[in-house]
Amino acid sequence: MTEKELTEQYQKLTQELRRGILVLAALSQLKEEKYGYALINSLAEKGLDIEQGTLYPLLRRLETQGLLQSEWNVEGSRPRRYYVISPEGSTILQDLVGEWRNLTEVMEKLLAGKTSEGEQNESN
Amino acid sequence: MNLIDRYIHEVGRHLPRNNRADIQAELRSSVVDSLEDRFGSEASESDVGELLTELGRPRGVAASYYPQGQYLIGPGLYPLFRMVIWIVIAAVLGAQMLAWGVGIFIAGETFPVLDLLLSLLNSIPVSLGWVVLTFMILQRFDVKPDLEDESWDPQTLPQINEDDDLKRGELIVGLVFSILILVLVMFFPQWIGFVTTPGGKFYPNPVIIQYLGWIKISLLAGIGLDIILLWQRRWSIVSRISKIAVNLLSIAILVLLVQGHNAWLAARGSSGFFDAIEAIPGVVGGEWEVVGMHSFRLAFVVALVVTVIETLAALYRLVRANIKRGYSLQVISPDKA
Repeated sequence: MTEKELTEQYQKLTQELRRGILVLAALSQLKEEKYGYALINSLAEKGLDIEQGTLYPLLRRLETQGLLQSEWNVEGSRPRRYYVISPEGSTILQDLVGEWRNLTEVMEKLLAGKTSEGEQNESN
Repeated sequence: MNLIDRYIHEVGRHLPRNNRADIQAELRSSVVDSLEDRFGSEASESDVGELLTELGRPRGVAASYYPQGQYLIGPGLYPLFRMVIWIVIAAVLGAQMLAWGVGIFIAGETFPVLDLLLSLLNSIPVSLGWVVLTFMILQRFDVKPDLEDESWDPQTLPQINEDDDLKRGELIVGLVFSILILVLVMFFPQWIGFVTTPGGKFYPNPVIIQYLGWIKISLLAGIGLDIILLWQRRWSIVSRISKIAVNLLSIAILVLLVQGHNAWLAARGSSGFFDAIEAIPGVVGGEWEVVGMHSFRLAFVVALVVTVIETLAALYRLVRANIKRGYSLQVISPDKA
Protein backbone atom coordinates (compact mmCIF):
# COMPACT_ATOMS: atom_id res chain seq x y z
CA MET A 1 0.00 0.00 0.00
CA THR A 2 1.42 3.37 -0.98
CA GLU A 3 1.43 6.28 1.41
CA LYS A 4 -1.36 7.93 -0.56
CA GLU A 5 -3.56 4.85 -0.40
CA LEU A 6 -2.86 4.58 3.30
CA THR A 7 -3.96 8.18 3.84
CA GLU A 8 -7.13 7.58 1.84
CA GLN A 9 -7.87 4.46 3.81
CA TYR A 10 -7.33 6.35 7.04
CA GLN A 11 -9.63 9.14 5.94
CA LYS A 12 -12.36 6.70 4.95
CA LEU A 13 -12.16 4.91 8.30
CA THR A 14 -12.14 8.17 10.24
CA GLN A 15 -15.21 9.26 8.35
CA GLU A 16 -16.99 6.01 9.20
CA LEU A 17 -16.03 6.33 12.84
CA ARG A 18 -17.32 9.90 13.02
CA ARG A 19 -20.51 9.15 11.12
CA GLY A 20 -21.68 6.93 13.93
CA ILE A 21 -21.48 9.65 16.56
CA LEU A 22 -23.12 12.44 14.57
CA VAL A 23 -26.65 11.43 15.56
CA LEU A 24 -25.69 11.44 19.22
CA ALA A 25 -23.91 14.78 18.83
CA ALA A 26 -26.83 16.44 17.04
CA LEU A 27 -29.49 15.10 19.41
CA SER A 28 -27.49 16.19 22.45
CA GLN A 29 -27.37 19.79 21.25
CA LEU A 30 -31.04 20.09 20.29
CA LYS A 31 -32.67 20.24 23.72
CA GLU A 32 -33.24 23.86 22.81
CA GLU A 33 -34.40 24.60 19.31
CA LYS A 34 -31.75 25.61 16.79
CA TYR A 35 -31.56 26.11 13.06
CA GLY A 36 -29.09 24.15 11.00
CA TYR A 37 -26.27 26.63 10.70
CA ALA A 38 -26.46 27.57 14.39
CA LEU A 39 -26.13 23.89 15.27
CA ILE A 40 -23.03 23.59 13.09
CA ASN A 41 -21.53 26.58 14.90
CA SER A 42 -22.35 25.29 18.36
CA LEU A 43 -20.85 21.88 17.51
CA ALA A 44 -17.76 23.55 16.03
CA GLU A 45 -17.31 25.70 19.14
CA LYS A 46 -17.17 22.52 21.20
CA GLY A 47 -14.65 21.00 18.83
CA LEU A 48 -16.76 18.86 16.50
CA ASP A 49 -16.52 19.99 12.88
CA ILE A 50 -19.30 18.74 10.70
CA GLU A 51 -19.96 19.61 7.09
CA GLN A 52 -23.17 21.37 6.15
CA GLY A 53 -23.81 18.83 3.44
CA THR A 54 -23.74 16.08 6.09
CA LEU A 55 -25.74 17.77 8.83
CA TYR A 56 -28.76 19.11 6.94
CA PRO A 57 -29.78 15.77 5.42
CA LEU A 58 -29.13 14.12 8.80
CA LEU A 59 -31.51 16.53 10.55
CA ARG A 60 -34.22 15.74 8.00
CA ARG A 61 -33.69 12.04 8.42
CA LEU A 62 -33.96 12.31 12.20
CA GLU A 63 -37.16 14.27 11.76
CA THR A 64 -38.63 11.61 9.45
CA GLN A 65 -37.73 9.05 12.12
CA GLY A 66 -39.63 11.10 14.68
CA LEU A 67 -36.61 11.92 16.86
CA LEU A 68 -36.69 15.62 15.99
CA GLN A 69 -39.46 18.12 15.39
CA SER A 70 -39.10 21.18 13.24
CA GLU A 71 -40.89 24.31 12.15
CA TRP A 72 -40.20 27.36 10.09
CA ASN A 73 -39.63 30.55 12.03
CA VAL A 74 -40.04 33.75 10.03
CA GLU A 75 -39.31 36.23 12.83
CA GLY A 76 -35.57 36.72 12.26
CA SER A 77 -33.81 38.40 9.35
CA ARG A 78 -34.83 35.48 7.11
CA PRO A 79 -37.01 32.41 7.48
CA ARG A 80 -35.18 29.55 9.20
CA ARG A 81 -36.09 25.99 9.96
CA TYR A 82 -35.70 25.30 13.68
CA TYR A 83 -35.17 21.81 15.01
CA VAL A 84 -35.78 20.53 18.54
CA ILE A 85 -35.63 17.07 20.05
CA SER A 86 -38.99 15.25 20.33
CA PRO A 87 -40.11 13.32 23.43
CA GLU A 88 -39.24 10.06 21.64
CA GLY A 89 -35.89 11.58 20.72
CA SER A 90 -35.20 12.43 24.36
CA THR A 91 -35.87 8.86 25.44
CA ILE A 92 -33.57 7.51 22.77
CA LEU A 93 -30.91 10.09 23.54
CA GLN A 94 -30.84 8.93 27.16
CA ASP A 95 -30.26 5.35 26.05
CA LEU A 96 -27.69 6.40 23.49
CA VAL A 97 -25.75 8.35 26.10
CA GLY A 98 -25.68 5.28 28.35
CA GLU A 99 -24.46 3.18 25.43
CA TRP A 100 -21.84 5.76 24.56
CA ARG A 101 -20.44 5.82 28.13
CA ASN A 102 -20.32 2.06 28.08
CA LEU A 103 -18.54 1.99 24.74
CA THR A 104 -15.93 4.59 25.66
CA GLU A 105 -15.21 2.74 28.88
CA VAL A 106 -14.74 -0.56 27.07
CA MET A 107 -12.73 1.06 24.30
CA GLU A 108 -10.45 2.75 26.79
CA LYS A 109 -9.76 -0.61 28.39
CA LEU A 110 -9.22 -2.28 25.03
CA LEU A 111 -6.93 0.43 23.75
CA ALA A 112 -4.93 0.51 26.97
CA GLY A 113 -4.45 -3.28 26.77
CA LYS A 114 -3.45 -3.06 23.14
CA THR A 115 -0.83 -0.41 23.79
CA SER A 116 0.83 -2.24 26.68
CA GLU A 117 0.87 -5.44 24.64
CA GLY A 118 2.41 -3.53 21.77
CA GLU A 119 5.11 -2.25 24.06
CA GLN A 120 5.74 -5.76 25.32
CA ASN A 121 6.18 -6.99 21.79
CA GLU A 122 8.61 -4.22 21.07
CA SER A 123 10.69 -4.97 24.18
CA ASN A 124 10.92 -8.65 23.23
CA MET B 1 -26.86 36.28 -4.80
CA ASN B 2 -27.57 35.29 -8.36
CA LEU B 3 -25.05 32.47 -8.00
CA ILE B 4 -26.86 31.18 -4.91
CA ASP B 5 -30.16 31.18 -6.81
CA ARG B 6 -28.58 29.18 -9.60
CA TYR B 7 -27.01 26.78 -7.12
CA ILE B 8 -30.24 26.18 -5.21
CA HIS B 9 -32.14 25.72 -8.45
CA GLU B 10 -29.62 23.18 -9.69
CA VAL B 11 -29.75 21.23 -6.41
CA GLY B 12 -33.55 21.21 -6.67
CA ARG B 13 -33.42 19.52 -10.05
CA HIS B 14 -31.94 16.42 -8.43
CA LEU B 15 -34.07 16.39 -5.27
CA PRO B 16 -37.06 14.14 -4.62
CA ARG B 17 -40.10 16.06 -5.82
CA ASN B 18 -42.29 15.75 -2.73
CA ASN B 19 -40.21 17.95 -0.42
CA ARG B 20 -38.08 19.73 -2.97
CA ALA B 21 -39.29 23.27 -2.21
CA ASP B 22 -38.82 22.82 1.51
CA ILE B 23 -35.28 21.49 1.22
CA GLN B 24 -34.43 24.28 -1.19
CA ALA B 25 -35.73 26.96 1.23
CA GLU B 26 -33.78 25.48 4.12
CA LEU B 27 -30.63 25.17 2.06
CA ARG B 28 -30.95 28.76 0.91
CA SER B 29 -31.35 30.14 4.42
CA SER B 30 -28.40 28.02 5.63
CA VAL B 31 -26.17 29.12 2.76
CA VAL B 32 -26.98 32.76 3.40
CA ASP B 33 -26.42 32.24 7.15
CA SER B 34 -22.98 30.82 6.63
CA LEU B 35 -22.15 33.45 4.00
CA GLU B 36 -22.99 36.28 6.39
CA ASP B 37 -21.22 34.56 9.21
CA ARG B 38 -18.04 34.26 7.23
CA PHE B 39 -17.96 37.33 5.01
CA GLY B 40 -20.44 39.78 6.59
CA SER B 41 -23.47 41.18 4.81
CA GLU B 42 -21.40 42.59 1.91
CA ALA B 43 -20.17 39.32 0.45
CA SER B 44 -18.68 39.50 -3.03
CA GLU B 45 -19.42 37.17 -5.92
CA SER B 46 -16.08 35.41 -5.38
CA ASP B 47 -16.89 34.87 -1.66
CA VAL B 48 -20.12 33.20 -2.71
CA GLY B 49 -18.15 31.12 -5.19
CA GLU B 50 -15.74 30.00 -2.50
CA LEU B 51 -18.55 28.98 -0.17
CA LEU B 52 -20.40 27.06 -2.86
CA THR B 53 -17.22 25.27 -3.92
CA GLU B 54 -16.90 24.11 -0.34
CA LEU B 55 -20.50 22.89 -0.25
CA GLY B 56 -19.85 20.76 -3.29
CA ARG B 57 -21.52 19.83 -6.54
CA PRO B 58 -25.30 20.30 -6.61
CA ARG B 59 -25.87 16.71 -7.63
CA GLY B 60 -23.85 15.46 -4.67
CA VAL B 61 -25.68 17.72 -2.24
CA ALA B 62 -29.03 16.52 -3.58
CA ALA B 63 -27.92 12.88 -3.40
CA SER B 64 -27.24 13.18 0.33
CA TYR B 65 -30.97 13.72 0.81
CA TYR B 66 -31.62 10.15 -0.35
CA PRO B 67 -30.52 8.25 2.77
CA GLN B 68 -31.19 4.78 1.37
CA GLY B 69 -29.31 5.61 -1.83
CA GLN B 70 -30.54 5.85 -5.37
CA TYR B 71 -30.76 2.60 -7.27
CA LEU B 72 -32.02 1.56 -10.61
CA ILE B 73 -32.06 -2.00 -9.27
CA GLY B 74 -31.18 -2.15 -5.58
CA PRO B 75 -29.08 -4.73 -3.76
CA GLY B 76 -32.22 -6.52 -2.57
CA LEU B 77 -33.36 -7.28 -6.11
CA TYR B 78 -29.97 -7.63 -7.75
CA PRO B 79 -29.36 -11.39 -7.18
CA LEU B 80 -32.74 -12.22 -8.72
CA PHE B 81 -32.05 -9.78 -11.55
CA ARG B 82 -28.71 -11.38 -12.34
CA MET B 83 -30.27 -14.83 -12.44
CA VAL B 84 -33.14 -13.76 -14.71
CA ILE B 85 -30.68 -11.98 -17.04
CA TRP B 86 -28.75 -15.19 -17.65
CA ILE B 87 -31.87 -17.22 -18.24
CA VAL B 88 -33.13 -14.63 -20.72
CA ILE B 89 -29.82 -14.52 -22.62
CA ALA B 90 -29.79 -18.31 -22.84
CA ALA B 91 -33.42 -18.42 -23.96
CA VAL B 92 -32.97 -15.72 -26.62
CA LEU B 93 -29.86 -17.41 -27.99
CA GLY B 94 -31.69 -20.72 -28.06
CA ALA B 95 -34.78 -19.24 -29.71
CA GLN B 96 -32.62 -17.62 -32.40
CA MET B 97 -30.82 -20.87 -33.08
CA LEU B 98 -34.15 -22.66 -33.35
CA ALA B 99 -35.52 -20.03 -35.74
CA TRP B 100 -32.40 -20.29 -37.91
CA GLY B 101 -32.54 -24.04 -37.81
CA VAL B 102 -36.16 -24.04 -38.93
CA GLY B 103 -35.34 -21.48 -41.62
CA ILE B 104 -32.38 -23.38 -43.00
CA PHE B 105 -33.49 -26.99 -42.74
CA ILE B 106 -37.21 -26.71 -43.23
CA ALA B 107 -37.91 -23.61 -45.25
CA GLY B 108 -34.67 -24.16 -47.17
CA GLU B 109 -33.55 -20.56 -46.74
CA THR B 110 -29.92 -19.58 -46.49
CA PHE B 111 -28.74 -17.07 -43.92
CA PRO B 112 -25.50 -15.14 -44.23
CA VAL B 113 -23.54 -15.30 -40.97
CA LEU B 114 -23.45 -11.51 -40.73
CA ASP B 115 -27.24 -11.37 -40.64
CA LEU B 116 -27.31 -13.88 -37.81
CA LEU B 117 -24.93 -11.80 -35.73
CA LEU B 118 -26.81 -8.59 -36.49
CA SER B 119 -30.10 -10.11 -35.41
CA LEU B 120 -28.46 -11.23 -32.13
CA LEU B 121 -27.15 -7.70 -31.63
CA ASN B 122 -30.74 -6.61 -31.88
CA SER B 123 -32.64 -9.30 -29.99
CA ILE B 124 -30.40 -9.64 -26.92
CA PRO B 125 -30.36 -5.93 -25.96
CA VAL B 126 -34.11 -5.70 -26.56
CA SER B 127 -34.85 -8.65 -24.27
CA LEU B 128 -32.44 -7.40 -21.60
CA GLY B 129 -34.10 -4.00 -21.88
CA TRP B 130 -37.43 -5.54 -20.98
CA VAL B 131 -35.93 -7.31 -18.00
CA VAL B 132 -34.32 -4.09 -16.78
CA LEU B 133 -37.57 -2.22 -17.27
CA THR B 134 -39.49 -4.83 -15.28
CA PHE B 135 -36.97 -4.71 -12.45
CA MET B 136 -36.95 -0.90 -12.45
CA ILE B 137 -40.70 -1.00 -11.86
CA LEU B 138 -40.27 -3.60 -9.09
CA GLN B 139 -37.61 -1.37 -7.50
CA ARG B 140 -39.82 1.69 -7.83
CA PHE B 141 -42.56 -0.04 -5.87
CA ASP B 142 -40.03 -1.44 -3.42
CA VAL B 143 -40.88 -5.08 -4.09
CA LYS B 144 -38.75 -7.49 -2.06
CA PRO B 145 -38.03 -10.96 -3.40
CA ASP B 146 -37.60 -12.41 0.08
CA LEU B 147 -40.15 -12.11 2.82
CA GLU B 148 -38.30 -10.59 5.71
CA ASP B 149 -39.50 -12.37 8.80
CA GLU B 150 -39.35 -10.16 11.84
CA SER B 151 -38.29 -12.96 14.11
CA TRP B 152 -35.94 -15.38 12.46
CA ASP B 153 -35.59 -18.80 13.95
CA PRO B 154 -32.42 -20.78 13.17
CA GLN B 155 -34.49 -23.93 13.71
CA THR B 156 -36.23 -23.13 10.43
CA LEU B 157 -32.93 -23.48 8.56
CA PRO B 158 -33.33 -26.27 6.01
CA GLN B 159 -31.78 -29.62 6.91
CA ILE B 160 -28.61 -30.46 5.05
CA ASN B 161 -30.24 -32.94 2.75
CA GLU B 162 -28.83 -33.54 -0.68
CA ASP B 163 -32.21 -34.73 -1.88
CA ASP B 164 -33.52 -31.21 -1.36
CA ASP B 165 -30.70 -29.47 -3.21
CA LEU B 166 -31.67 -28.60 -6.71
CA LYS B 167 -29.56 -29.48 -9.67
CA ARG B 168 -29.43 -25.98 -11.09
CA GLY B 169 -27.77 -26.88 -14.37
CA GLU B 170 -30.50 -29.40 -15.16
CA LEU B 171 -33.16 -26.93 -14.19
CA ILE B 172 -31.74 -24.17 -16.39
CA VAL B 173 -31.44 -26.49 -19.39
CA GLY B 174 -35.04 -27.62 -18.84
CA LEU B 175 -36.17 -24.03 -18.44
CA VAL B 176 -34.50 -22.88 -21.64
CA PHE B 177 -35.99 -25.85 -23.48
CA SER B 178 -39.50 -25.05 -22.16
CA ILE B 179 -39.10 -21.41 -23.16
CA LEU B 180 -38.05 -22.47 -26.67
CA ILE B 181 -41.12 -24.64 -27.05
CA LEU B 182 -43.26 -21.85 -25.63
CA VAL B 183 -41.85 -19.39 -28.19
CA LEU B 184 -42.56 -21.94 -30.89
CA VAL B 185 -46.20 -22.54 -29.88
CA MET B 186 -46.82 -18.86 -29.15
CA PHE B 187 -45.43 -17.33 -32.30
CA PHE B 188 -45.02 -20.05 -34.92
CA PRO B 189 -47.69 -22.71 -34.27
CA GLN B 190 -48.08 -23.12 -38.03
CA TRP B 191 -44.44 -24.28 -38.15
CA ILE B 192 -45.04 -27.30 -35.96
CA GLY B 193 -45.44 -30.14 -38.36
CA PHE B 194 -43.36 -32.17 -40.73
CA VAL B 195 -41.82 -32.02 -44.16
CA THR B 196 -41.63 -34.79 -46.69
CA THR B 197 -38.21 -33.92 -48.07
CA PRO B 198 -35.87 -31.02 -47.18
CA GLY B 199 -37.40 -27.93 -48.76
CA GLY B 200 -40.49 -29.92 -49.77
CA LYS B 201 -44.15 -29.50 -48.79
CA PHE B 202 -44.76 -28.65 -45.13
CA TYR B 203 -47.70 -29.99 -43.16
CA PRO B 204 -48.74 -28.25 -39.94
CA ASN B 205 -49.95 -30.66 -37.26
CA PRO B 206 -53.75 -30.14 -36.85
CA VAL B 207 -54.00 -31.86 -33.44
CA ILE B 208 -51.37 -29.62 -31.86
CA ILE B 209 -53.14 -26.54 -33.17
CA GLN B 210 -56.41 -27.84 -31.70
CA TYR B 211 -54.91 -28.07 -28.16
CA LEU B 212 -52.64 -25.00 -28.45
CA GLY B 213 -54.25 -23.14 -25.53
CA TRP B 214 -53.75 -26.03 -23.11
CA ILE B 215 -50.17 -26.59 -24.27
CA LYS B 216 -49.38 -22.93 -23.56
CA ILE B 217 -50.94 -23.05 -20.08
CA SER B 218 -49.02 -26.18 -19.19
CA LEU B 219 -45.71 -24.74 -20.46
CA LEU B 220 -46.26 -21.45 -18.64
CA ALA B 221 -47.03 -23.26 -15.38
CA GLY B 222 -43.86 -25.34 -15.75
CA ILE B 223 -41.70 -22.31 -16.56
CA GLY B 224 -43.11 -20.32 -13.65
CA LEU B 225 -42.43 -23.17 -11.23
CA ASP B 226 -38.89 -23.65 -12.56
CA ILE B 227 -38.09 -19.96 -12.06
CA ILE B 228 -39.37 -20.10 -8.48
CA LEU B 229 -37.35 -23.28 -7.87
CA LEU B 230 -34.20 -21.64 -9.26
CA TRP B 231 -34.75 -18.76 -6.90
CA GLN B 232 -35.39 -20.95 -3.85
CA ARG B 233 -32.47 -23.20 -4.78
CA ARG B 234 -33.94 -26.19 -3.01
CA TRP B 235 -36.98 -28.37 -2.90
CA SER B 236 -39.70 -27.90 -0.33
CA ILE B 237 -42.88 -29.86 0.28
CA VAL B 238 -44.91 -27.15 -1.44
CA SER B 239 -42.67 -27.04 -4.49
CA ARG B 240 -42.58 -30.83 -4.76
CA ILE B 241 -46.36 -30.96 -4.66
CA SER B 242 -46.54 -28.11 -7.20
CA LYS B 243 -44.14 -29.98 -9.45
CA ILE B 244 -46.35 -33.07 -9.28
CA ALA B 245 -49.43 -30.96 -10.03
CA VAL B 246 -47.76 -29.36 -13.05
CA ASN B 247 -46.68 -32.80 -14.25
CA LEU B 248 -50.21 -34.17 -13.88
CA LEU B 249 -51.44 -31.30 -16.06
CA SER B 250 -48.80 -32.19 -18.67
CA ILE B 251 -49.86 -35.84 -18.52
CA ALA B 252 -53.51 -34.90 -19.07
CA ILE B 253 -52.59 -32.77 -22.08
CA LEU B 254 -50.28 -35.43 -23.50
CA VAL B 255 -53.09 -37.99 -23.19
CA LEU B 256 -55.40 -35.61 -25.07
CA LEU B 257 -52.74 -35.15 -27.75
CA VAL B 258 -52.17 -38.87 -28.17
CA GLN B 259 -55.93 -39.49 -28.36
CA GLY B 260 -56.24 -36.68 -30.89
CA HIS B 261 -53.58 -38.33 -33.05
CA ASN B 262 -55.29 -41.69 -32.64
CA ALA B 263 -58.58 -40.21 -33.83
CA TRP B 264 -56.92 -38.46 -36.76
CA LEU B 265 -55.10 -41.61 -37.80
CA ALA B 266 -58.17 -43.81 -37.31
CA ALA B 267 -60.09 -41.47 -39.60
CA ARG B 268 -57.42 -42.16 -42.23
CA GLY B 269 -57.72 -45.88 -41.61
CA SER B 270 -54.20 -46.26 -40.27
CA SER B 271 -54.07 -47.03 -36.58
CA GLY B 272 -50.79 -48.96 -36.11
CA PHE B 273 -47.37 -47.46 -36.59
CA PHE B 274 -46.13 -50.53 -38.46
CA ASP B 275 -48.95 -50.17 -40.99
CA ALA B 276 -47.39 -46.83 -41.85
CA ILE B 277 -43.84 -48.17 -42.02
CA GLU B 278 -44.98 -50.90 -44.33
CA ALA B 279 -46.75 -48.35 -46.44
CA ILE B 280 -43.66 -46.17 -46.87
CA PRO B 281 -42.23 -47.74 -50.01
CA GLY B 282 -45.52 -47.25 -51.76
CA VAL B 283 -46.36 -43.80 -50.56
CA VAL B 284 -46.75 -40.94 -52.93
CA GLY B 285 -47.73 -37.46 -51.79
CA GLY B 286 -50.50 -37.52 -49.18
CA GLU B 287 -49.48 -40.72 -47.42
CA TRP B 288 -46.43 -38.94 -45.97
CA GLU B 289 -48.80 -36.98 -43.82
CA VAL B 290 -49.89 -40.22 -42.17
CA VAL B 291 -46.25 -41.17 -41.48
CA GLY B 292 -45.64 -37.70 -40.02
CA MET B 293 -48.65 -37.96 -37.70
CA HIS B 294 -47.51 -41.41 -36.61
CA SER B 295 -44.12 -39.96 -35.69
CA PHE B 296 -45.72 -37.16 -33.72
CA ARG B 297 -47.89 -39.66 -31.88
CA LEU B 298 -44.87 -41.75 -31.07
CA ALA B 299 -43.02 -38.66 -29.76
CA PHE B 300 -45.97 -37.76 -27.55
CA VAL B 301 -46.26 -41.30 -26.24
CA VAL B 302 -42.55 -41.19 -25.31
CA ALA B 303 -43.03 -37.80 -23.63
CA LEU B 304 -46.06 -39.21 -21.79
CA VAL B 305 -44.10 -42.21 -20.50
CA VAL B 306 -41.18 -39.99 -19.45
CA THR B 307 -43.50 -37.56 -17.65
CA VAL B 308 -45.32 -40.38 -15.86
CA ILE B 309 -41.98 -41.83 -14.68
CA GLU B 310 -40.80 -38.38 -13.62
CA THR B 311 -44.03 -37.82 -11.69
CA LEU B 312 -43.77 -41.18 -9.94
CA ALA B 313 -40.16 -40.34 -9.02
CA ALA B 314 -41.28 -36.95 -7.70
CA LEU B 315 -43.98 -38.66 -5.62
CA TYR B 316 -41.42 -41.10 -4.26
CA ARG B 317 -39.03 -38.27 -3.31
CA LEU B 318 -41.86 -36.33 -1.68
CA VAL B 319 -42.70 -39.32 0.50
CA ARG B 320 -39.04 -40.11 1.24
CA ALA B 321 -38.23 -36.50 2.14
CA ASN B 322 -41.14 -36.45 4.57
CA ILE B 323 -40.19 -39.77 6.15
CA LYS B 324 -36.63 -38.49 6.65
CA ARG B 325 -37.92 -35.30 8.20
CA GLY B 326 -40.22 -37.23 10.50
CA TYR B 327 -37.34 -39.56 11.39
CA SER B 328 -34.94 -36.75 12.24
CA LEU B 329 -37.60 -35.19 14.43
CA GLN B 330 -38.05 -38.50 16.26
CA VAL B 331 -34.31 -38.69 16.83
CA ILE B 332 -34.28 -35.24 18.35
CA SER B 333 -37.39 -35.47 20.51
CA PRO B 334 -36.23 -38.04 23.12
CA ASP B 335 -33.34 -35.72 24.04
CA LYS B 336 -35.74 -32.88 24.54
CA ALA B 337 -38.05 -35.01 26.68
